Amino acid sequence: MDNQQKLQQAFTVALGVQPDAVTDSLQYNTIPEWDSTAHMILIAELENVFDVMLDTDDIIDMSSVKQAKVILQKYDINFA
Amino acid sequence: MRSETPVNQWEFSAYQVSLQPIAQVHQMQMRAWRNQPEIRQQMLDTALISEEQQLAWFKKASYDPKQLHWIVQFRDRLIGVTNVKSLEMGKSAAQASVLEPGLYIGDHTYQNNIIAFAPSLAMYDFCFAHFRVQQFRAVVKSSNTQAMKYNEKLGYQIISQGDVCVLELNYNQYTEQTAILRQLLSRERKATNVKR
Repeated sequence: MDNQQKLQQAFTVALGVQPDAVTDSLQYNTIPEWDSTAHMILIAELENVFDVMLDTDDIIDMSSVKQAKVILQKYDINFA
Repeated sequence: MRSETPVNQWEFSAYQVSLQPIAQVHQMQMRAWRNQPEIRQQMLDTALISEEQQLAWFKKASYDPKQLHWIVQFRDRLIGVTNVKSLEMGKSAAQASVLEPGLYIGDHTYQNNIIAFAPSLAMYDFCFAHFRVQQFRAVVKSSNTQAMKYNEKLGYQIISQGDVCVLELNYNQYTEQTAILRQLLSRERKATNVKR
């Protein structure tokens, strides 16, 4: 499984949405499934899947799927 | 009940935000936020606020021990306002056992962001630690689903429902419900990124 697929799976698990809903444009608090509780689960899921520890600034800034990719790249997680 | 000096001398920082007592210099910004349609329509009083009304309110509120207002700063930007009001006759906000909280995030950038919880967490932590409050009681329009959800995430329980809902929160509910959120928002900044 490549990083793009891992990311998509982390979002589907954490938010409980279908894989095709996980697009770059998906943003925090714009769908009922991505609320603050789901955001915390998402952070835990991403940390587990990619074996990283996000700092608070990144947790705050992770407001979309696209932004999640940008942030994870800082942790040497690359998306082709 | 009126003080001879400005009542709010408390300022504090937590969860990446700083809360400072509101000052006259903040009033035009606060008025601009408060008059935004999306904020105004969620208030119990939806009227537009004039400059004169804003300044008159500030002068009165600053000397009223029953209410405390803070401006919220995040990353060198002012992003909103938070407050508490005593719900007990003759008791200041610091002395009351029941407080009514208020919050609005005026900066659009952070209205739909998890940092919107930080001002409430900082304020509730401070009030529970330094004041005599035992319970917060929030009054929210039932049509304001975002605020209802927000308060429920903080641990509030709905006490009565109607056009306006009353919700209450005690210390145990608050600490249990917000444990993970508080942990996430109080991690060290610039921490070592990679766990292994």
